[in-house]
Order: sequence, then C-alpha cells, then structure tokens
Amino acid sequence: MRRRPSAALALAIAGVVGSTATASARMSADTMSAPPDEMSGIDAEWWAAAAEPYAGTTITGVSESTPPSVYAAETLAAQFEELTGIAVELEATSWDEMRNKALNDMENNTGVYDFIYVEQDIAYADIAAERLTNLSEMYADNTDLQAPGFSWDEFNTFLDNFADADGNYFGVPMEAFIKIYLYRTDLFGDADLQAAFEEQYGYPLAPATTHDQYRDIAEFFTAHGTDNDLELWGTTVQATTSHAASFYEFFESVAPTFGLYDWGINAEENFAATVDNGGAMNGPEAVAALEYWVSLLDFAPPESTSSTWDEVASTFAAGRAAQGLVYGENATWIAADGSRSSVVGNVGVAVPPLADGVLEAAESGEGYVGYYDGGAFAIPAGADDKEATLLWLQFLGLPDVQPEWAAATGRVTENATYDAPAITAIDEEVGGYFTLMQEQAQLFRGAPPFAFHSQVVSTVSPFIWSAILGDSTPQEALDAAAEATEEELTNLGYRT
Amino acid sequence: MRKRSTGWLLLAPSLVLMVLAGLVPFVYVAWTAFHRWNLNAVTRDAVFNGLDNVRRLVHDERVLDATRTTVLFAVYAVGSQLVIGYGLARLLMRRFPGRQLFRTVHTIPLLVAPIAVGATWRILLVPGLGPLPHYLEQWFGWHVDLGTSGTVAFWSLVLVDLWHWTPFVTLSLLAGLSALPVEPFEAARVDGAPAWRILWHITLPMLKPVLIATAFIRLMDALRLVDEAAMLTKGGPGDSTRFLGLQLVRIVFENNDYGYGGTVSLFALYVTLVISWALYTVTTGIKRQRAHGG
Repeated sequence: MRRRPSAALALAIAGVVGSTATASARMSADTMSAPPDEMSGIDAEWWAAAAEPYAGTTITGVSESTPPSVYAAETLAAQFEELTGIAVELEATSWDEMRNKALNDMENNTGVYDFIYVEQDIAYADIAAERLTNLSEMYADNTDLQAPGFSWDEFNTFLDNFADADGNYFGVPMEAFIKIYLYRTDLFGDADLQAAFEEQYGYPLAPATTHDQYRDIAEFFTAHGTDNDLELWGTTVQATTSHAASFYEFFESVAPTFGLYDWGINAEENFAATVDNGGAMNGPEAVAALEYWVSLLDFAPPESTSSTWDEVASTFAAGRAAQGLVYGENATWIAADGSRSSVVGNVGVAVPPLADGVLEAAESGEGYVGYYDGGAFAIPAGADDKEATLLWLQFLGLPDVQPEWAAATGRVTENATYDAPAITAIDEEVGGYFTLMQEQAQLFRGAPPFAFHSQVVSTVSPFIWSAILGDSTPQEALDAAAEATEEELTNLGYRT
Repeated sequence: MRKRSTGWLLLAPSLVLMVLAGLVPFVYVAWTAFHRWNLNAVTRDAVFNGLDNVRRLVHDERVLDATRTTVLFAVYAVGSQLVIGYGLARLLMRRFPGRQLFRTVHTIPLLVAPIAVGATWRILLVPGLGPLPHYLEQWFGWHVDLGTSGTVAFWSLVLVDLWHWTPFVTLSLLAGLSALPVEPFEAARVDGAPAWRILWHITLPMLKPVLIATAFIRLMDALRLVDEAAMLTKGGPGDSTRFLGLQLVRIVFENNDYGYGGTVSLFALYVTLVISWALYTVTTGIKRQRAHGG
C-alpha cells in the first residue's frame, strides 16, 4: 500500500482534532504589547479622555477561534487596554460553541457578552430578530465617543453585510476573506510535469480556468502521486459526510461557478427551491455542479470525506493536494508560516474555475464566482457596557490597526489596507493573495440574506451527504433537497 | 415527630436544589414540547400547538432512526461490557504477577473525559492519516473508513465505549464478587459441581443486585451518548451514527427549534423509562420464578 503516515501527519492532526485554531500571528503578543509605529496616528490623549468614565471596566466577548480573533484577543486587546484602561476578555472557541453561547445570551438578554462575533451569513437573522444594537444610531447619538480616525467610509463593501434595509450598521467588520483557489506553484512550475501534462491533455499546465481543466489537473497529479509513491492527490474536497461544511463548499463555492446562486432559492418566487415552482436548487446548473464536485472525490485524499474547512487547510498545508478551494483566512498561513505549513513559498492563488458566462454575470453584478467570507463584532441588544464596547469596536476599525492585523492573519476589511507597506511587503510571499483580493473581491459574495439560513443548511445537508456517499445520484439528492427545503420554509412561515 | 421534622429540615437544602436543578427545567421542557417555538421561523414567539409536535415526531424518520441506532448501540455496548467486565473481574480475583499494575492501567480510561476520548480516537481513526486504518489495511487488507462506512463508524463507537467504560463494570463486579461469601462455593465444589453450574446457580444469582445496578447505570449513559459520537463521527457518515442525543443537539442548537426539541427530549426520556422498566421486569421476573421453585 503506497500511503504511509509521515511527518505530514503531525501538521495535519492540528487541523483534524478540532476546529480551534491557534494564533498564527507573525508577531507574538510579547512583541506587540505596545502599539507599533504603524499605529502612531492614534490620538492617545483622546482615547484616554474618552475612556476615562469606563476605565477599569472589563468587557467580555465571544468569537470563533480564527486567527484574526485570536490576534484581537492576544494583541489588540492589550493595546486597547493600554490606551484606555478598559480590559477586554475575548473568548475564542469553536464556531458551534460560539454561536450557541451568543444566541443564548441574546435571546435571554443575560448581558453576559458585551460583544459577539456575527458571521456574514448569520447577520441577517440577528438583525431581523432585533438581537443587535444599532451601531449607526449609537455612534451618532454619542458624539463624545466618536473616535478620531474611525469612519464607516473606510470599510470596503463587506460592511454592507451588516446593514439593515435602511442602511444602519449593526456590526464592525473584523475579518473578511474570499474562498480562493490555491495551487502548488512548485508542482505547476515543474518542467517535467508540465511536459507530461501537455503531452497527455494537449494544453499547457496552468491554474485551471474551467472545470474540465481543474478535473484534468486533479486526475494528473493523483496519478503522479500514485506512480511515484507520494502522499499527493490532485485536489482537496471539503466533503465531510457529517457536518454542514460540505453544504457550504458546494453551495457557496462550487455551485456559483456553474451559475447557481443563492442556493437555488428564489426569494421573489415565494422562496421556491424546486424548478417546478420557480427555484433552481434541482436545476441543470445545480446537478452539473454536484456531479462535478462529487466526481472530484476520486482525486482527493482519503480524509476528504471527514474534512471540514480546517482539515482541508491542513491537508493542503501538509502538501497532500496539488490544488484546492481554501478559505482565505488559511491561505496566508499556508503560504507563509513555516511552523504550520510544509508548502511555504510554493502557493499560488487564483479565481476558481468558472463555467461559461459566470464571469460576465459576476462582473455585471448579476452573479458571483464564489464566497466572500467573514464576520463582524456586534453589540447584543442586552449588553451591559455598550459605551466601553463601542470604543473597542471603533479601535478595531481604525485604519492604523489594520495593516499588522492583515499581515498577521490575512483579513482585509478596509480599502486602504491594501496599500499599506506591511501588506505590499508580504503580498508576494502569500502568493499574491492581497492583490487578488483587492482586484477581484467584488466578484465574490457572501451568503444570501436568508433569516432561515441555519434551518435550510440543516435540512439540505443530509442530501448532500447522501450524494457524497453514493446513496443517491446528484439529481435525486437535489430533487429531495429542494422539496424538503420548500416543506421546511412552509413550516417556518416563509413560504405561503 | 421531632426527629422526622429535623430530618426533613436537614434534607431541605438538597431538596430545594433538586427541585430547582431538576424539576423546574423538566417542567419547562414539558411546556415547550407543546408549543411551536423556532427562532428561525417568521413567528419567533412560542405558540401553543397542542399535539402537533408529537404528530411530527411520529412521522420523523430521522428521530425514529436515531432511536433505533441508539437502542442498538446500548444493547451491544452494555452487553459486551457486562460480559468482558465480568471476565476481567474474575481474572482480578486471582493472584498473578502484575495484578496491581494491570488493575491500575486498566482503570486509566475511566479518568479521561468523554470528549477527550472521542478526540483521541478520531486521531487514531481518521481516514488517510490515522495509524489504525493504515495498519489495518496494510496487515489485514481491511479498508476502514469512518467517513464513508456507517458500519465502521457504528462499531468504532461501540469499541470506543467498550474501551472507555469496561473498567467501570470490572471494578463494580470485582467489588461485588469480593463481597460474596465463600461457603456456598466451597460446598458446591465439595459436591462436585462443574464450573458452569456454579456460575449459573450460585455466582450470578448472588451477584445479581450488583449486575442489575451496573447494567442500569451503563444503560442510562449509553442511551444519552453525545460527547464521544460528536467528536468521533459527528453523527455520520450521513446519519448512521446520529444517536438520539446528537439528533437533539441538531434540533435544538443547529435548528433553534426549541418546541420540537422539547418534544423529542420527552420522547428520549420515555424510551429510557420503557427500556429500564423492561430490564427491571425481566430481572425481577426471573427472581420471582426462582423463588417459586421455577
């Protein structure tokens, strides 16, 4: 048997054990106890004066244990406390645990948390349920707490994910990424492999721009791994058969590249999901996408059917895949952090492969090419120390805070960050990720504005798993998923 | 009279805690069970809906499948633990070199938290990376994949539960065996009774109270398994190891469907009570039969 656990196992285990990530900051908290030079633009006197009524307060928050949140907890919290005397306790935990705690706190108005993490795809539900504080109003009503340097205009369009219909903002973005196509530049750039690929497939080896090319490349490198007794496969696939991560990869990253948007649910047609009723969840684009995605499992490592986003990142970082769709929050450490990745310096980024017409649709604003991920910190409606927390959120939104945060963790929420020296200096090191995000992020989109997001995910996921396991064909799975979705939306009262 | 009131007074703090921590939540869950209450619905308030949730449960294949899987798991896991635990207890009754060391090492899994047990076994069993699937395939040609085989996932959980909780059964039965009087055994041996008759007619009947108590405790734990399954398989592949506890987690925490979650919670309690009653009836029925010379 050609596959053996190797030293790569140690790296892969870190992602496999759980979803709690450790800090991947390029600078440790020890070196960042004082604000760096890039933050010299902060008016320390103003902050001290504005925070004086709240000095000695401890504000508490909960977030997912992503690198940006861990950085905020370990580095930015210390800087903020030094400026203001307000202590910040940020609990970084798994997504599921974070959401449960935040939801319980908001629903019961217990006031346990002063700020919570609100992911882009959940924001609509929380805003609709009036669980969050209207930050636009709070900011406008508290002129003495309006921090110099903070402006809603500094943020990129990702901010719009946290606005209501009237344009009021309910969260301050603290992380934003695109789920990007990563590929191994060492493999793609190998002269022998290039020659062999072109001989076999009739065109040059390069990052795929179509699904057929992507599949050819996956097939090629899987065969290369087998023939040379390497732990190398052609692609990652986030195809866990017991977690919603497979739903997310399919509907948020793969389906849009075939022209299926908003999960195939048509809000303008009474939230129809079936083609018969005006939806597209079981339409030709969806079926083609699912057939393609499931077929990639033939060229993916064996752990793929147990992989969520963490495992996919670890798989790629361990050098077990030639290409894959990876969340941007992981792209930077995979490309640059030698303590966690074995492919440092050998990572390239590109827009995912697309079907005909998808790019044009995205450029016109009618469609999109993939997932724009991220989240914000928001203040629960029942929080206790809202004023102190507003200062904290504004601190996190200062332009001076962004560059080092972005360089350390790969998140960009403000337009000016792309031109910061810290970012331009490492852009090449991370495969040009920041340049691509600056130039192409507008082609990506977050989850559709569905207040029933989690319910549909839970309803549809088993059908996706069924297709992965081969228990049903993609058409059967999507037919059943679409019908179940409509039934569930009817039960919830959205479909009449 | 004064002694009785003093006794109640001393018990009062515990009773108050039990009522607050036990009875009050139970009543609240029972209340939610008869309401439509889903935070993702258009109407987020709790609305009384009579027996609609019960009707929904009766036709909910996922809950019924989860119940079936849970009961099967409990039967296999607890049954195996009782047999293996009894064997190990008998072994530890004998003197042999390293007996103390063996007893200590054998007990270590009991000290590990269930969620850590699940996480550890996940590392060992993860397809493509874990050492167990690798060497099982290399040495025996067995393809073991938790991500695609429901059978592998189910039996992996049974084995993990065996590894984790058999020491508890062993220690319980060891204590029971140690407390048995020796005279009946000596008399039986003097009379020439074979080992199996001694086991069936003397050992097991005398050990029955300990056996029943141990079985009940393990049954309660097995029927509400969540942590290890959540870490090892997350209920998958598909829904093949989505035990009733995990299904409840999905309904309440993922779907925020508190009303239906309350109904399923009551159903889980009902299943547990029925199984417990069945076990009690069977065991006490055997006792009555023996008492009447059957």
